[in-house]
Amino acid sequence: MFLTGRNIHRRTFLRGAGASVALPFLDAMVPAGRRGGVGNGSDEADPTRLVCIEEVHGVAGCNTWGHEQGLFAPSTVGRDFEIHPDSCLEPLEAWRDQMTIISNTDVRMAEAFDSREIGGDHFRSSVVFLTQSHPKQTQGSDIYAGTSIDQLHAQRFGRDNALPSLQLCIESLNQSGGCWYNYHCAYTDSISWASPTDPLPMVRDPRVAFDMIFGAGGTEEERATRRRTNASILDWVTGEIGALKRQLGTHDRVEMDRYLEGVREVERKIQMVEAYNTSGEAREIPEAPAGVPDSFTEHMEIMFDLQVMALQTDLTRVISFKTGRDASNRIFPESESDTAFHAASHHGGREESILEFNKISRYRMGQMAYFLEKLDQATEGDQTLLDKTAIVWGSPMGDANLHNHRRCPLVLFGGGNGALTGNLHIKAPDGTPMANTFVSLMQALGHDDIESFGDSTGEMPISYAGGAAATAQAEAR
Amino acid sequence: MSRAVWTGVTFATLVGLGWSSSPALLPAVTASPEGVATAHAPRPSAADLSETVDQYCVRCHSDRRLTGNLSLEGFRVEAAAEQPETTERMINKLRAAMMPPPGARRPAGDTLLALTETLEDVVDRAAASQPNPGTRRFQRLNRPEYEAAIEDVLGIKVDASNWLPQDMLLANFDNMAVAQTLSSTLLEAYLTAANDVSRLALGHSEAAPTSETYRVPVYQSQHAWDQVDGAPYGTRGGIVVDHHFPASGEYVFDVSLWAGDIARNEDLDISIDGERVDLVELEVLFRYDLGPDWTMQTKPIFIEGGQRRVAVSFIRNVDGPYDDVLEPHDWSLAGTREPVEYGVTLLPHLRDMTIIGPTNPRASSATEARERIFSCRPSVPEEVQPCAEEIVTRLARRAYRRPLTEQDTEGLMSLFESGLGEGGFEIGIRTAIEGILASPHFIFRLEAEPEGLRAGETFDLDDLALASRLSFFLWGSPPDEELVRVADEGRLSGDELERQVRRMLADPRSEALATRFASQWLRLPDLERVRPDAFWFPYFYEQLGQDMRHETELFFEHLVREDRSLFELYEADYTFLNRRLAAHYGIPATLGEDFERVAYPEGMPRKGILGHGSVLMLTSMGNRTSPVLRGKWVMEVLLNTPPPPPPPNVPELDEVGEADGTRMLTTREKLEQHRANPTCNACHRFMDPIGIALENFDVTGRWRLRENGVPVDTQGELYDGTEVSSPVDLMDALLERPVPLVRTFATNLMAYALGRRIEYYDQPTIRAIADEAAQNEYRMSSFILGVVNSDAFQQKVSLGATTDAAQSN
Repeated sequence: MFLTGRNIHRRTFLRGAGASVALPFLDAMVPAGRRGGVGNGSDEADPTRLVCIEEVHGVAGCNTWGHEQGLFAPSTVGRDFEIHPDSCLEPLEAWRDQMTIISNTDVRMAEAFDSREIGGDHFRSSVVFLTQSHPKQTQGSDIYAGTSIDQLHAQRFGRDNALPSLQLCIESLNQSGGCWYNYHCAYTDSISWASPTDPLPMVRDPRVAFDMIFGAGGTEEERATRRRTNASILDWVTGEIGALKRQLGTHDRVEMDRYLEGVREVERKIQMVEAYNTSGEAREIPEAPAGVPDSFTEHMEIMFDLQVMALQTDLTRVISFKTGRDASNRIFPESESDTAFHAASHHGGREESILEFNKISRYRMGQMAYFLEKLDQATEGDQTLLDKTAIVWGSPMGDANLHNHRRCPLVLFGGGNGALTGNLHIKAPDGTPMANTFVSLMQALGHDDIESFGDSTGEMPISYAGGAAATAQAEAR
Repeated sequence: MSRAVWTGVTFATLVGLGWSSSPALLPAVTASPEGVATAHAPRPSAADLSETVDQYCVRCHSDRRLTGNLSLEGFRVEAAAEQPETTERMINKLRAAMMPPPGARRPAGDTLLALTETLEDVVDRAAASQPNPGTRRFQRLNRPEYEAAIEDVLGIKVDASNWLPQDMLLANFDNMAVAQTLSSTLLEAYLTAANDVSRLALGHSEAAPTSETYRVPVYQSQHAWDQVDGAPYGTRGGIVVDHHFPASGEYVFDVSLWAGDIARNEDLDISIDGERVDLVELEVLFRYDLGPDWTMQTKPIFIEGGQRRVAVSFIRNVDGPYDDVLEPHDWSLAGTREPVEYGVTLLPHLRDMTIIGPTNPRASSATEARERIFSCRPSVPEEVQPCAEEIVTRLARRAYRRPLTEQDTEGLMSLFESGLGEGGFEIGIRTAIEGILASPHFIFRLEAEPEGLRAGETFDLDDLALASRLSFFLWGSPPDEELVRVADEGRLSGDELERQVRRMLADPRSEALATRFASQWLRLPDLERVRPDAFWFPYFYEQLGQDMRHETELFFEHLVREDRSLFELYEADYTFLNRRLAAHYGIPATLGEDFERVAYPEGMPRKGILGHGSVLMLTSMGNRTSPVLRGKWVMEVLLNTPPPPPPPNVPELDEVGEADGTRMLTTREKLEQHRANPTCNACHRFMDPIGIALENFDVTGRWRLRENGVPVDTQGELYDGTEVSSPVDLMDALLERPVPLVRTFATNLMAYALGRRIEYYDQPTIRAIADEAAQNEYRMSSFILGVVNSDAFQQKVSLGATTDAAQSN
């Protein structure tokens, strides 16, 4: 950590602050001009921030026995639900007012449609989570799924921010051999799809993410120099691409055109950052984090810090975050279980093993507390960032032991600029697609024209009034 | 044993495939176990063979049952070329002797071999009349290629993971064009990399102070006699890194340690490029109340900018037998739950090292990179332009892997001008370098297509594109001056092409075939995913894992370098070992830190790749071996016959602690419970016996006779009925049927070389490469030349005239 004139050691600082990890990003981060706040509800000028977080392998509480034990969904519905002490939601009990639990929805687009697809669930699930679309089984360039909700939001509301959206992940992609059963790794590795054919890469290294958000370079002066150089380089690259395209075949030209769009996207970002910087707001940028930490918690917390910063500085309003990779056999010593993640998810329906898997589910879910707290501490006007953000946390798998995609876990956190009331457990009627929830959520976030999404069959209320009715309907059945 | 394999490929087929050298017809001898007679006896007619398919295959592969998603109802052998995809699936399974499955009825005598060969003949003949070299999008530089290209152009080593997104794997490899999707994130990553790399190369006199932390892997032994590779002699433990010092200036080294509470009098040596710059003395008594980690800083040390090797290690002050009362697992930190628990040893361990700086920076004077870049220095204003142009064009030519056009030079010089205006000559050069590194000509490996082609028409790649394909295939890096020159002169074909290939194979850079190709094919990166449980395998530690990977890579490199037979990969009675690995394998040999070729002692049950610790460990779980994963690895990696996905609701095997009431079960016993289920058994009867035969190797590849106190039982029956009970038996059984091994190798080699998956229409080429290799004693060069000389490597299929979509920009 470098402070002008005086060298306070990074670790000294951390020890003093009592934090186990990460850098004291936030305080230094808030742009002076923003402290006064601009937000006043969910009007057009203040689009709701959307963060989508994927869990792989479902949770232990989505197994039949696990459900009976209350390991995920509370046994009571509506307001003032009761969280079982063993539930993976229990570590988040303190945040119940910011929590809308939606249980019993299905992600059937992740199921096998024909015999060739049977068994390929781990390689097909992730793409389905935010697209609710069934991916075409292929390893060729003809990949096809759907556009994800984060991208729909970014395409409509993210254009005024330097980064229309940000994609982050935790796990490395380097499973040797690649992805099996004729599924392209893009389906496994990306949850953000700008179009049905356009997966976006997810960034794992906090330092790389930091550079994407704030620009690389040690000082503001250095960053400005780089922006200037890059603007002229991009200008030149555009010309280069125009010239070289003439030598290419059709296929290559189409790809090159897409790349050119990327060039324009980066140019736009540079201009926006320039404009932002000349707006007179004093800002201080924290020191970039080091590379990928070994510890899952540490990595998650740094990634959450970065997200809070990106949202707070308004550099982006849309984030997707992939917290695992399907079939990963990572061990989480801090979960108190030493069983590998994927192996633990195949608990065979044995009670003892389900409880073992539940330790991992609890540990992984528990990471959310850090994020919620940081968002809650960040204020904008008289509201917290948590009030102004909608967080979708869920998994395209339910009972991972069976690779099934029914009764999947889904929790919405935050106030969503008034869209979410919190303190609510909605149990969907049997057979409700998760996509229904997304239709209603997107409508509440300002996408009035979205009437259907993925395999949706209708809407699925997410606030108290409607939610209570839906729940009653579910109970009646 | 003779490896000659009889095949039905005719001379015409080879010529039709565009074979450059004329292979002599194969002698009609065979060591094929299915029977010597085939080559001489008349083959059954196609109609008879169709009848065979109907009799023996259709029961399962019917329209109704669709076993394996395959129906062979109405399949006619003589018309096999009309369904090449189905036919190739049949050939693959038949060659592996996996169909009809064990237990099912099989036709008598050589009928299956005749069927296989006839199918191959029919398809190959059709392919010869209508060759299809396939096509793909252009490739981009992936992380390792980017690193190699930067080293080639600027002479500095960089870590591309600092900027570029992770490479998506497909069909075993990280260089597949269809997995390399383009996006603004990617573009920005290359741009940031260009900014950073140009500054690293030139040095950065105004570099702002930053801190960079390097962690010591928890499994790394810091034992009194385990020196870390690259650390000074007489030291133990610690860490060695290549670090970029952005400018000459003062840097502070910050170390954090784990230590027991009575450690004292330990000295930490800090060396730069092998020379000590500081010695940090720890004389204090460590105390619990100071917390679990202990940090110390050096005074500011002046360091010349550039890339330097930094070693931070403990002075070894223990000799002879040494006993640590709190002995950790091989003196690593394995088993501790960092940062939850406290260190477990009296011996201080390095936890991480942070380099902070620079303060008082100034421009670096002489670094290798600067010397390479500044081939001239303008002393008068008139020299600025010519000198800059000299520098920029020389670097761009390397980076673009071709001679420059006038437009290239003009564009880059305009970037130089803008930098010149802003900050002088150096900044001008830096801006031009940023441009070069952000240019699509550098980032992408573009392959020009002639104008006016119709869809489906094939075209030859130009020599420069071929040169890049060749060098990224053989070296994993850009072509050198000679190769570019030969290509530019239009001479990269025929004998000259072969001469270049042989020259490149002799060059040290061809080690990339081991570290990039073989490593990915054999899945060596998965080694990092297996953390042997320190409770069961206390003798495992980080350096041993690295040694295992190194062993396999060196071994493969040796095969290429010495142009050995592919079969040595499977049955060599030697390997490459250092002191640690030899001890681990129980081989009495006098060795040091360096690897040497070592012959296995007489009677040693290790042979070829299946005796390598790397393969045995990467197919294990942390706490037990997995015969299933080992069997699956052999089927997927060596035989190209991957088993289908398991049904989802299969429980994991019980953990090692499970017992049947009287004693702990062995892995085999638990597996047998699993296999009692007929659904499971349909596939596991293939996988399990392969893995069971390797059960004498534990998780870390060490030989064992007992598991959980019970003798290991390795008896089993392979899918073809062969009895096997040892790794050597297993390999012998696999070698009885060499065709799948040879073709699988050729398939992977070709996929890596082309940057695309190998499709059914490539199979005639694969067979031709394998047959050509058979003529040449299966030498590595024969496979490599086979790939290089193939149409698929030298040609592409056009997708036809420009579409509207492509024109719109």
